[in-house]
Amino acid sequence: MTTADALREFISRDLPGGRPVAELTDDLPLIDERVVDSLGIFQLVSFIESDLGVAIGDDEVVRENFETIGTLAAFVDAKRAS
Amino acid sequence: MPEVLHSLLERAARERPGHPAVSDRGRVATYAELDARADALAAALVGAGVEHGDRVGVLLEKSIDAVACLYAVMRTGAAYVPLDPHAPEHRLAQVLADCDVRCVLAAANAPPPAGPGVLDVGSVPPASGAPVRAEVTPDDLAYILYTSGSTGAPKGVMVSHANAMAFVRWAGAAFGVTGEDRLSSHAPFHFDLSVFDLYAAAAAAATVVLVPPEGSVFPAHLRRFVNQEGITVWYSVPSVLTQLAARTDLAPGDLPSLRAVLFAGEVFPTRWLRRLTAALPDARFANLYGPTETNVCTWYEVDRLPDDDGTTIPIGRPITGTRVAVVGDGGGPGELYVQGPTVGQGYWNDPAGTASRFVTEPRPDLPGRWYRTGDLVEETADGCLRFLGRADGQVKSRGYRIELGDVEAALYGHSGVVDCAVVAVPDELFTARLHAFAVVEGAVAEPDLAGFCAGRLPRYMVPQTFEIRSALPRTATGKVDRRALEAAALTGPGRR
Repeated sequence: MTTADALREFISRDLPGGRPVAELTDDLPLIDERVVDSLGIFQLVSFIESDLGVAIGDDEVVRENFETIGTLAAFVDAKRAS
Repeated sequence: MPEVLHSLLERAARERPGHPAVSDRGRVATYAELDARADALAAALVGAGVEHGDRVGVLLEKSIDAVACLYAVMRTGAAYVPLDPHAPEHRLAQVLADCDVRCVLAAANAPPPAGPGVLDVGSVPPASGAPVRAEVTPDDLAYILYTSGSTGAPKGVMVSHANAMAFVRWAGAAFGVTGEDRLSSHAPFHFDLSVFDLYAAAAAAATVVLVPPEGSVFPAHLRRFVNQEGITVWYSVPSVLTQLAARTDLAPGDLPSLRAVLFAGEVFPTRWLRRLTAALPDARFANLYGPTETNVCTWYEVDRLPDDDGTTIPIGRPITGTRVAVVGDGGGPGELYVQGPTVGQGYWNDPAGTASRFVTEPRPDLPGRWYRTGDLVEETADGCLRFLGRADGQVKSRGYRIELGDVEAALYGHSGVVDCAVVAVPDELFTARLHAFAVVEGAVAEPDLAGFCAGRLPRYMVPQTFEIRSALPRTATGKVDRRALEAAALTGPGRR
């Protein structure tokens, strides 16, 4: 499974702002559309750390990285590769 | 001092026309511009048939125009009903039907569910002709704010101009708000913390700065926002500030502009408040307390913190003009009753609900009209009030007030649910998370229930976790054993 699909599945299943997987496109704005809120962001971070095995620093929990599933997957993959 | 809320804008526009009134992500409206826009919108509302005594819904993302809409509605003599643009249609329809709005101010690309007339704010031209100035008295309703109701129907708290003004006047004086201040606007307009942000700013002809969506989600952005915007007075629920203290390495001097930090809505965990006050040694901190029905009724200026993190700060003493009473069996803890100019007018379209909470002479020594908060409090030796908890099923999560019965009613709306219970699981950073237990018939799985709730309830009321069980535990008297479920939710394998 790609990182984007894993994120999509988690957001759909586990976040109160989640939607059906089909609606969670790679370029859907996660923040402006309120898919990810103040509680959801830290559920998402802990999913990435525990299930995807990528540690994220507090200073990396910023809009630029979490804007869309596409940007987040790219960020996670880049962290994993480095 | 003017007696109605919208006259604050008129005065500010007259006295400081060129001063920034509202700032939103780099866009700024001066008081003159905000006043002109409110005039244009008020004229359009009158054109749409809005009259004194009506209700008008405002279904917009926070923006300069949304602020102008609130003033425009009040100028027509109607009460504004702020609506959550992210609430599901079902919830919006419930609110719109309950308060019978004359029309809804909305954006063309995000109209309300079918029902009342819609006024597309984007199509409203600049005002021409005499400005709308309906005759509004302090006893008229300024706005109606909908909160969670225990039976599954949201209830509308009616607040008059006099009620709101009493709070705004007190707050402006208590925190010394001046025309040079820059106030944050974090809370959505359908949440009563916004009343301070918008109107304490207008009363001083100060600037209110709207917190962008990412500021609520990312502590790092919030910190940047406060610095870049030079925020001097911050007001929000504690969970936002807790995140700031917990997830950014805030040190003294990092937020030099902040001179006052106000919070309300729920208990601020002492451990995080300690960290925040250490990072802001020169700022004032104050805990404001009050259900929506009372605006704010007591406050506590944080002068020193308890020595141990297990003790919370008090909710303090009554604000000017307010009386409080602790009504219990004897001299100990009891329910907090509130009387005074900030106490609202009751619930819209709900005389029975109003009569049960807004009571007259509850005891011979308590004459007049009182609001029963449902909050259990005790009075400390030095005369401060301390919040102890609730006697009913109301919980707080991130400052949002949630009736567990409201969430359960939504779950029962699913045809496969035969029994259910929702419990609050304590959470250090978010006060509480909701966990739903359900007994179902047919092929219903946890994600089905999660999706169903998301379609019926505001986001903040959707449980974080769901668990299907074959039966719910019962007490000897046949009631759902909530204690057992709370214990299970703390340790159990919550899933969605």
